[in-house]
Amino acid sequence: MDRLEAAAWKPPRACDDYLTEFKHCKSLWNRFQQYYTYGTSPSCQQWKEDYYTCREWEKHQSTEAKELLQGSEQKRVAEQRKFTPVWELRQNPPRDWHMPLNQEKPQDS
Amino acid sequence: MDQTKQEEEYGYDLFPERNKGKFKKGSIAESLFTFNHKCQVMLQFAMETSKYERCVLSSARSTVFKDRHFSCEECDGTVSGGFDAASSQIVLCQNNIHQQSHMNRVVTHELIHAFDHCRAHVDWFNNFRHLACSEIRAANLSGDCSFSNEVARFNFGLKQHHQECVRGRALRSILAVRKISRQEAEKIVDEVFDTCFNDHAPFGRIPHGNKDARFAYRDYKNRDRYYANL
Repeated sequence: MDRLEAAAWKPPRACDDYLTEFKHCKSLWNRFQQYYTYGTSPSCQQWKEDYYTCREWEKHQSTEAKELLQGSEQKRVAEQRKFTPVWELRQNPPRDWHMPLNQEKPQDS
Repeated sequence: MDQTKQEEEYGYDLFPERNKGKFKKGSIAESLFTFNHKCQVMLQFAMETSKYERCVLSSARSTVFKDRHFSCEECDGTVSGGFDAASSQIVLCQNNIHQQSHMNRVVTHELIHAFDHCRAHVDWFNNFRHLACSEIRAANLSGDCSFSNEVARFNFGLKQHHQECVRGRALRSILAVRKISRQEAEKIVDEVFDTCFNDHAPFGRIPHGNKDARFAYRDYKNRDRYYANL
């Protein structure tokens, strides 16, 4: 089972995506936006490291590279989920979403 | 009258055409005397070209149909649009939206409300925290508070100004549609701000421009691979 899993695994993102994210993160535009929103400078180093790790995995399929990438992405996901939602999530979309609108009372032309 | 009271309480008085239109829908009078046609054209353009909307529309689990879920209407005052949870419709104020960029922004803003409505049990009418949360998210993620939009409003701020803007606009939106005191509204916004400001669904980030929106959409398309290999 483990070998099958290892064969099937690939990095969560295409390696080039890490590079483009890094370049975008470092851009003047993004640095300005980060300051405008958070009052800080962005930290972009992780994207660069992930890019190199991804390339490393592509070359050698090392477990170390795989674990590094997984760890980094899991950390990103955890960051996104660091808050307690104000509302309860639905299991299904609202039933009346597609219900037809009440027609206007017919006007005498 | 009960209906009038309810209308005022939930902000429906800003959208007088919700219950009774002045002109019959689709009539020539409507075309001649209102901006209805212009509104429809701008909406179509926004849905086809805006990268922000592409992201929200594709990630909402409910399919959005232009004819069923959008309505161009005359509105009171300076309001640009609204989301009517009772009829599952986004209202666009044809008399107050005159530029394509404004239309794009309003549609994104209201789509975020629709998105919240579809993915969570949002109690729009009775729970002010829910309303505040959705308004914070909509102001945060739609581009309402971009630097250029703020400068255009003569609000010159830099460091962390985005958050100030989001807070302010969320407050205004709540006060426009609900009868509560400013202090009470401020308290509610403060309570939910941190949580809701950091909820970036469906973008996964705050989209400050088209490139951010493109990357967010790319992440959305890649989501199966992403979560399978975490």
